[in-house]
Amino acid sequence: MKKKQRYPFLAIEGQDDMKLALILNVINPGLSGVLIRGEKGTAKSTAVRALADILPEIVVVKDCPFQRNPDGSTAVCADCGKAACRDHVLAGGKPETLSRGVRVVDLPVGATEDRVVGTMDLEEALKKGEKRIEPGLLAAAHRGILYVDEVNLLDDHVVDVLLDSAAMGVNTIEREGISFSHPARFTLVGTMNPEEGELRPQLLDRFGLCVTVSGITDPEARVRIMERRIAFDEDPDGFAAEWKKPSADLADAIRQAMILYPSVTCPRPLLYDIAGYCLDVGVDGHRGDIIILKTARTLAAYNGRAEVTAGDVDRAAELVLPHRVRRQPLQDVVVDIKGVRQGKNMV
Amino acid sequence: MNHFINIFPFTAIIGQDDLKTALILNAVNPKTGGVLIRGEKGTAKSTAVRALSAVLPDMERHLGCAFACDPKKPSEWCPFCRRKDHAPVVVKTKIPVVTLPLSATEDRVAGGLDFNLAVQSGRRVLSPGLLADAHRGILYVDEVNLLDDHIVDIILDAAASGENTVEREGMAFVHPSRFILVGTMNPEEGEIRPQLLDRFGLCVDVSSEKDPDRRVNLMTARDDFDHDPSAFAIRHSLQTRELAERIVSARGLLPSVVFPGYLRTLVSELVMENNAAGHRADLVIEQAAKALSAFEGRKEVTVEDVRNVAGFALMHRKRDASPPPPPSSKNHEHDHSPHEPDTENPEENKDDRPEPQSQDSPSPQGQEEERKEQGSEHPAPEPDADGDRDQERNKVTDSLFDVGETFKVKKIAPPKDRVVRNGSGKRSRTRTAMKQGRYVKSGNGKDGHDIAFDATLRAAAPYQLSRKCGGEGQGLAVVLKNQDIREKIREKRMGNFLLFVVDGSGSMGARGRMTASKGAVMSLLLDAYQKRDKVALVTFRKDGAWVNLPPTSSVELAARLLSDMPVGGKTPLAAGLVKGFELVKNHLLREPDARPMMIVITDGRANVPLTGAKPLGEVLGIAEKIAGEPRLCSIVVDTESQGPVRFGLARKLADALSAACFRIDDLKAERLVEVVKRRREEYA
Repeated sequence: MKKKQRYPFLAIEGQDDMKLALILNVINPGLSGVLIRGEKGTAKSTAVRALADILPEIVVVKDCPFQRNPDGSTAVCADCGKAACRDHVLAGGKPETLSRGVRVVDLPVGATEDRVVGTMDLEEALKKGEKRIEPGLLAAAHRGILYVDEVNLLDDHVVDVLLDSAAMGVNTIEREGISFSHPARFTLVGTMNPEEGELRPQLLDRFGLCVTVSGITDPEARVRIMERRIAFDEDPDGFAAEWKKPSADLADAIRQAMILYPSVTCPRPLLYDIAGYCLDVGVDGHRGDIIILKTARTLAAYNGRAEVTAGDVDRAAELVLPHRVRRQPLQDVVVDIKGVRQGKNMV
Repeated sequence: MNHFINIFPFTAIIGQDDLKTALILNAVNPKTGGVLIRGEKGTAKSTAVRALSAVLPDMERHLGCAFACDPKKPSEWCPFCRRKDHAPVVVKTKIPVVTLPLSATEDRVAGGLDFNLAVQSGRRVLSPGLLADAHRGILYVDEVNLLDDHIVDIILDAAASGENTVEREGMAFVHPSRFILVGTMNPEEGEIRPQLLDRFGLCVDVSSEKDPDRRVNLMTARDDFDHDPSAFAIRHSLQTRELAERIVSARGLLPSVVFPGYLRTLVSELVMENNAAGHRADLVIEQAAKALSAFEGRKEVTVEDVRNVAGFALMHRKRDASPPPPPSSKNHEHDHSPHEPDTENPEENKDDRPEPQSQDSPSPQGQEEERKEQGSEHPAPEPDADGDRDQERNKVTDSLFDVGETFKVKKIAPPKDRVVRNGSGKRSRTRTAMKQGRYVKSGNGKDGHDIAFDATLRAAAPYQLSRKCGGEGQGLAVVLKNQDIREKIREKRMGNFLLFVVDGSGSMGARGRMTASKGAVMSLLLDAYQKRDKVALVTFRKDGAWVNLPPTSSVELAARLLSDMPVGGKTPLAAGLVKGFELVKNHLLREPDARPMMIVITDGRANVPLTGAKPLGEVLGIAEKIAGEPRLCSIVVDTESQGPVRFGLARKLADALSAACFRIDDLKAERLVEVVKRRREEYA
């Protein structure tokens, strides 16, 4: 079956913050995700789904339900339901490997807890009388992107589970007679419409970056959006082909940035600047500081620089702090971080 | 404890000395009784606990024993270790740190039937749960305040008796389960049950570093760690080993540490001073002080030791002895701030700003926390700097009032913080709600809708051998029969539905009624926010009623609407009630199990009828009809001011609605909020 053509990432008009935040997360999964806030019809979901085309490739064990790195630990294999692969690996054999693009896994709002964390494999139990794991979405999203549309409507108990595994990168199952844990490190990408309710503070904090998108008001840009959308709907393949070159360039830039990232340094005065940002604005905990530093370094890498500049820090703060500013419960998410900082300094 | 994650070294954690000390005290002396770590997000709470396992000493146990039997205590051995025919082999392993995830089900916590063994041999053998794994070790619950009540009960049971009793699935088994309970929580997410709170020996509040230097060090440390975790761990391995050795020697010293008699007097004085409940605090302080003294290599506990640990033990136990002082006179002065509404509305110049709500009546429990949270949960009235609003105000004759001072919603600690309903009861009635909620345990099925496969399989497992001999099954490994079917029992947290029906008529503008009412509604909204309730807002004025806000979880939106709500015109109370009731009925159609609350804020002076009838009689008739809906709970807030002439119309309305009625003055004593909360619990 031919895969349905996706709208190209770069063909999305405007929404630069959102695109940048997503790209930064692709370069550095350590940024722990993006929360995209905004009204309906602002290309939120389109952008996330389009990401798949520019994502880098990873090497995994073929058909492994836990997306295992071939060189990694085999601790998860013992309870795996894939008998052939399991027995082969446990006997010390090398598994078949595969290089594939990073996956975007959807977590539907109505997902039940057992589907998210994993459960007992019923078929194995009934047919063979053996207890095996049927991995859930968290296993599928390991080393990939977990995408939750309308994340603010997620059931509370599913949110708890997400928090649990997002915090430490491990999913621990202690339910339905199963005791098992497997790695689940994923980039959490959520979209939400603030009109339908806010997120719980604890979950909000797990998202590394936060961007607010709104409809574009420039008539010319709006016309461009319509034209492109129509062109895409009429001839998806042709449209995608047109954008093939820029997409490939972007994917290339991302790969380069990934290589450069580990060697990017941040001058010490700028570290104080970051700490100053967080102290001035009043952020809970230290996650803000750490993520700003990482974001600034990722930004520098994306721009091909080996050293972080003050501009990187400012830009990073704009992406990292909006949802972390200690706010009164019924207040809106802050958009203008610089303004808040200056305001606080003046007082 | 887990081979998938690289653990940030304990000694590399910057700052958070209280947290580290409390954990070390527990590592030295298990009788300290665990620690609860409270604090905002991102303050190394979980990191510290997870890192602790690396510095924990070894313990002796029997090889292959699932219950961590202590070789030195033969009287407590499990049946397997007691068997005469095999002499148990003693091995040394690290003290376990067992993680209890929030999604855990009962069978895995307490222990359940061993499925594989049952199918193969037909014997019922216990597959030990987390409580067995955690015996003599640490049981760690992240976000402990979100743990399901079912699971909390099991843990409390085991913690109280020191053993875990399994009576399920045809098995009866008791095994010792003494563990150090370590929990982390973020108070923003809700409170913890008082019984569970008391089980924690110590409690520390953590907050983020304020010193830029340390923040920078922290950032670079974390960045180094993320860059190459193992190299980072190696750099810190020396310190880690030193700490581990120090803990081991402290453990050795502990039995010989003396707790002088005169210190007992000091301890009891400290406990009395803080008015702590029960005697656990005394015991905990003694044990913790001993641990501290042993950790510092001293054989006698000093006054300093006691003082140092007393804070940890009393943090979550202290209560206020005396009732809070009355509000100071300063609070009663009128606050003539520049954005005083009456200065802009000459016609309303009688308008008195209501007395700011007293902030100085802390609740008995959790006072510490309240003080800390005051900043975040106590919003000041909305500043009135909005230029557009002023313009709008000139266009229409309606007047706008500020949101009155909100008051801190008292943190009472009800047995259940959020309304928890047992999923099994409502399953038969609502199909949609059937499979929602968290699966916590299983029970005998009635209709087979929501089958708990694991429990079903466990129920069937012991009979497999005999059934297969009977020739049933046709090739399947497991033969299921009807009587094996078990159903899931689910638990779901439900938010309530709060409907505010607010009188927006001109009479409400007088004497600051509207300002005070808005303050009260805002306070309730803040409470609703924490409980994740749904809210809706209906106002009535001039000649009709409007649904300003359909039921939504966005309390923010309600708050914004509320502050922008104008006042003026007549009082079509009947229309307001009808509109409100329509909303409630629609909500009940969608969620038949809901227990909505209608809060009517009015002075009761209805003067616009729906039909041609007399306004007041009509209102009372409608109210009686509304009272006929048993699922709806109503409250009337009488905004009529106290004076020589009182109509008492709102009280009549309340009687007709069979609702509680409160005067506006009651609001100021934080009472409305409590009433709403209490009624909500009654109705739950």
